[in-house]
Amino acid sequence: MSLLRKVLLNLAVLVVLALAGGLGTAWYMIEAGSQLSTRTFGPWVTWAAAGRPDADPYTRAHTGRNGLLPLSSTLELTFRAKTDGNGGRLSSACDYAIVMDDFEPAWWGLALFDGQGRLVTNAAERHAFSRSTAMREPDGRTVITLARDARSGNWLPSGRSNRIVLVLTVLDAAWAAGIHNGGAPKSMPEILRTGCR
Amino acid sequence: MIQPYLQLLKQLLSQLLKLLALISTVRLLLPGWLRRRWRMVVASALLIGIVHICATFAAPALSSGHAYQLLRVKLPLNRMVVLPPQAPARQILPYLPPDVLYAMCRYDLSGGPVAVTAVVADAGWALSLHTPQGGNFYVLPGQQLRRTEVSLLLVPSGPEGALAPRPENPADTAIASPTSEGLIVVRGPLRGLAWAAETEATLRRASCAQVKR
Repeated sequence: MSLLRKVLLNLAVLVVLALAGGLGTAWYMIEAGSQLSTRTFGPWVTWAAAGRPDADPYTRAHTGRNGLLPLSSTLELTFRAKTDGNGGRLSSACDYAIVMDDFEPAWWGLALFDGQGRLVTNAAERHAFSRSTAMREPDGRTVITLARDARSGNWLPSGRSNRIVLVLTVLDAAWAAGIHNGGAPKSMPEILRTGCR
Repeated sequence: MIQPYLQLLKQLLSQLLKLLALISTVRLLLPGWLRRRWRMVVASALLIGIVHICATFAAPALSSGHAYQLLRVKLPLNRMVVLPPQAPARQILPYLPPDVLYAMCRYDLSGGPVAVTAVVADAGWALSLHTPQGGNFYVLPGQQLRRTEVSLLLVPSGPEGALAPRPENPADTAIASPTSEGLIVVRGPLRGLAWAAETEATLRRASCAQVKR
């Protein structure tokens, strides 16, 4: 092989490696996040600097690419869960119980989306529960049932979408400050799989 | 006079020699194929780093799904609009909570400051100001059982902002916007169907209008 061909081949390999490696790692850090930009509590993941003007480049890219409009994370934290408490991928083919015990921020909302951030179509036209709309159990807990078919109590229809994402929004400055200071919340909602069809 | 510089140069040379010795030692420890191609490996790692940094910084600018770009076509300039409740057919942004009603105003300060009034009625309510890049540079959250009437004047930052007219009411707050364009968002949580009309009525009291110079 001539020297020129060898140099060109090496250069081509170098460019392919650089593009694949550079774009791949950037995509991962922007979409999935890492410990540099996110905090994880069980299945719940939050971008710790979302909405802040001084957010890190990964958070800014994540917000921009996904069309998000978050309030500053010093006031509001948005958690996303793509898996249940045991790590299984959330799916509309399964039923889940979301249990909130001793979860008392000033305001919270729990909504269901598909993998692209679209609301899940359902005949009941119900897409979310919040602190104001969810009924409590006699023991003070709040249990939301995520299922395809109607259930008694706080039923959140999971529709026919294959991949589903739960989004928990917490609006409470004191609660958010605790997370920013490195602490963990006293309690987060549990996501329990109760059955699959 | 020149002695300290010579000393520094000597120290630098000594550190450089130590580094070269370390690289030679590490090279000897590498497997054969890696020893032959170590320049290629180092160059790849450097280029991967450069592409990674460029892609990360370019991603927000290159993205077509930016929230401000999506809302730009839907919102009139310097006018508050109460948006219908979020539903699958009329969702304005991805992952936007559907149990909240929104009033939004797309502002442009190039023609003068913008006066904003709103009511943040309770916990869960908030008035927020955002740059086109999504940065939330001001937020006023609602307090439990405390209704707050907000009146503020949005002015450009820098020397232009200093020349802007002062708020007519001294109690009003002047907020400097880091960008000439942006979004004003008032959010009111839906506490159920029975309260939807009341929430919407409160949101309709929000306004956003340019103040003529």
